[in-house]
Amino acid sequence: METSFAITGKGYVLVASDTTAARSIVKMKTDEDKIKVISPHLLMAYSGEPGDTIQFAEYVERNLRLFHIRNNYALRPSAAASWIRRSLAQSLRSRKPYSVNLMLGGFDVTTDTPHLYWVDYLGTMTEVPFGAHGYGAYFGLSLLDRYHNPEATLEEGIETLKRCINEVSKRLVVSPEKYKVKVVDKDGTREIEL
Amino acid sequence: MRLMKSCLKSVCALGALQSSVEYALEAVRKGTCAVGVRGKDVVVLGVEKKSVLQLQDPRTVRKVAMLDDHVCLAFAGLTADGRVLIDKARIECQSHRLTVEDPVTVEYITRHIAGIQQRYTQSGGVRPFGISTLIVGFDPHDTKPHLYMTEPSGIYSAWKANAIGRSSKTVREFLEKNHKDDLSREESIKLAVKSLLEVVQTGAKNIEISVMESYGKITNLDLAQIEAIVAEIEREKEAEAERKRSRLAATAAGQASMTSRTTEGGSGSSSEINVLLVLRFESFEIVYKEQKLLRSYR
Amino acid sequence: MSIMEYNGGSVVAMVGKDCVAIASDLRLGNQALGISSNFQKIFPVTDRIFLGLPGLATDVTTLRETFRFRVNMYTIKEEREIEPETFAHLVSSTLYEPTGGFRPFIAATDLIGCLNFAKDFVVAGTASTKLYGTAEGLWEPDLDPEQLFETISQTMLNAVDRDAYSGWGVVVHVIEKDKVTTRTLKGRMD
Repeated sequence: METSFAITGKGYVLVASDTTAARSIVKMKTDEDKIKVISPHLLMAYSGEPGDTIQFAEYVERNLRLFHIRNNYALRPSAAASWIRRSLAQSLRSRKPYSVNLMLGGFDVTTDTPHLYWVDYLGTMTEVPFGAHGYGAYFGLSLLDRYHNPEATLEEGIETLKRCINEVSKRLVVSPEKYKVKVVDKDGTREIEL
Repeated sequence: MRLMKSCLKSVCALGALQSSVEYALEAVRKGTCAVGVRGKDVVVLGVEKKSVLQLQDPRTVRKVAMLDDHVCLAFAGLTADGRVLIDKARIECQSHRLTVEDPVTVEYITRHIAGIQQRYTQSGGVRPFGISTLIVGFDPHDTKPHLYMTEPSGIYSAWKANAIGRSSKTVREFLEKNHKDDLSREESIKLAVKSLLEVVQTGAKNIEISVMESYGKITNLDLAQIEAIVAEIEREKEAEAERKRSRLAATAAGQASMTSRTTEGGSGSSSEINVLLVLRFESFEIVYKEQKLLRSYR
Repeated sequence: MSIMEYNGGSVVAMVGKDCVAIASDLRLGNQALGISSNFQKIFPVTDRIFLGLPGLATDVTTLRETFRFRVNMYTIKEEREIEPETFAHLVSSTLYEPTGGFRPFIAATDLIGCLNFAKDFVVAGTASTKLYGTAEGLWEPDLDPEQLFETISQTMLNAVDRDAYSGWGVVVHVIEKDKVTTRTLKGRMD
């Protein structure tokens, strides 16, 4: 089942998402990238109803790009997150709401601080030091309660992330096999091999 | 009778339409000049910047706008209208990516912009956009540069080099004379600057140059770079003038010596005057005038 | 399961002598799963009006934004701060807007900042029944700001301990004529 994690550390946010695309009980694909780079310093891991997820992620991506071209600067993580939340909240009360859950990891270059937002399909949003979606959340969050350190280096952060992934693999019946991990820091975004 | 009336009506409407597009064209003719030059694998946009008031922030007055990663637009005419059209185009660029994944082609976005401009000549309660545009860019997965122009009427066309706005006729004629196929990057930039200098008296500080070299690679030249190019052009002009001057001087001297030989005094005073004049006057035009004067003096 | 219990969270407000206090927990959950221990449900509206919004978290955020917008517009147009009574009516009319759907937050918003509306206290949220018990036992008339702080804090902390959907820390605002004191309290994390 779909699982995503994200943790903040000293000057970065790590975002991890599984790479399976499933239709009912069938795995259609095991190398799907479900983390989108939606702005130079903003990552978005998305999960939920297939179709809705990609449609909504691209909608967000194009609108943030449009903002960037119109105004010559990108939205800060907090502003982008607010806009995305509002889009979901409005969609919730529309005829066909998007069922998309998000983890938004960003680096605010104006204050040099990492930010992580947990957003669900209802438009619930909260800033968190670490967060997770899907069944993996039940295992990962309690582990992160114990091991998360906001001052951790990137290497330490990756180790903590590995703990979560290993725990999910060990205990969850329907655990995903592969993950994609991306990081955002002052230098922008990049992918990390675990 | 009824038929005639309706005919009359549409003729009147046509008249009104023509005049409103005419007004728009008038606005374009009054707008600052913009040129576009297409080279071998580069395309250059050059615009004449209106000199800003002493207390104005020059960064807020921009005439070249990015529509997407790979398309730029320069316009001449009513700035406020330009802004609206640019925004519509930017939305279309992102919307196109959203619906069909691919970025727009330069031709597509030009057609879209021209389509909007045409629509505003045909519906009631609106006036046409008082701007012409130059649209440059590279198509995705392609290395060929493109340059298009649109007009208030909704006409659009592709060009090797073109100018819009104030004195665009002069600049276009200059471009027609000087444009060659397969210009290099430097040549294209130089041609753009040179053609703008035809109508921009104040030089580098009132010129803005944007260079697009490949998909998504756009550079705006800074003042120092443009100044360097202008200086180079000046030097070339100077050298050219110098050459002409010396050539003229040679012919004049030849003529003068011939005259002095035919006159009886031997060492003719007129030839001395001639050389003196050439030394004294710097510019070719003045020398030329003096030459005529000398002839009449003779 | 009602949408009022989906994210959990509770708010209580109390009247003292020349002061009022409002407190909420800080939990945001997905039913039984805790997500955040820093989710604010009380928002300052003006210097002396606080609005507590327990309920479905997406609506908490949306309403908070709506009220901020409407109060800002009111302030600009009227060139004065909105009165607590006026704001209460604004809240009331916003929540019952025909297009707004059903969002029963009114119990918590009736009183905030309105010294005269209720004589004692109001409660709202998933721990409201427990809050009634603790508040009924601890509250007494004419408490001064310090006593009121102690009362509301104990009321909240003990009530949320009996509620699985509320807790994870408490924030308390004590509002007096010319000052507001905000304190964040640690709570049990189980």
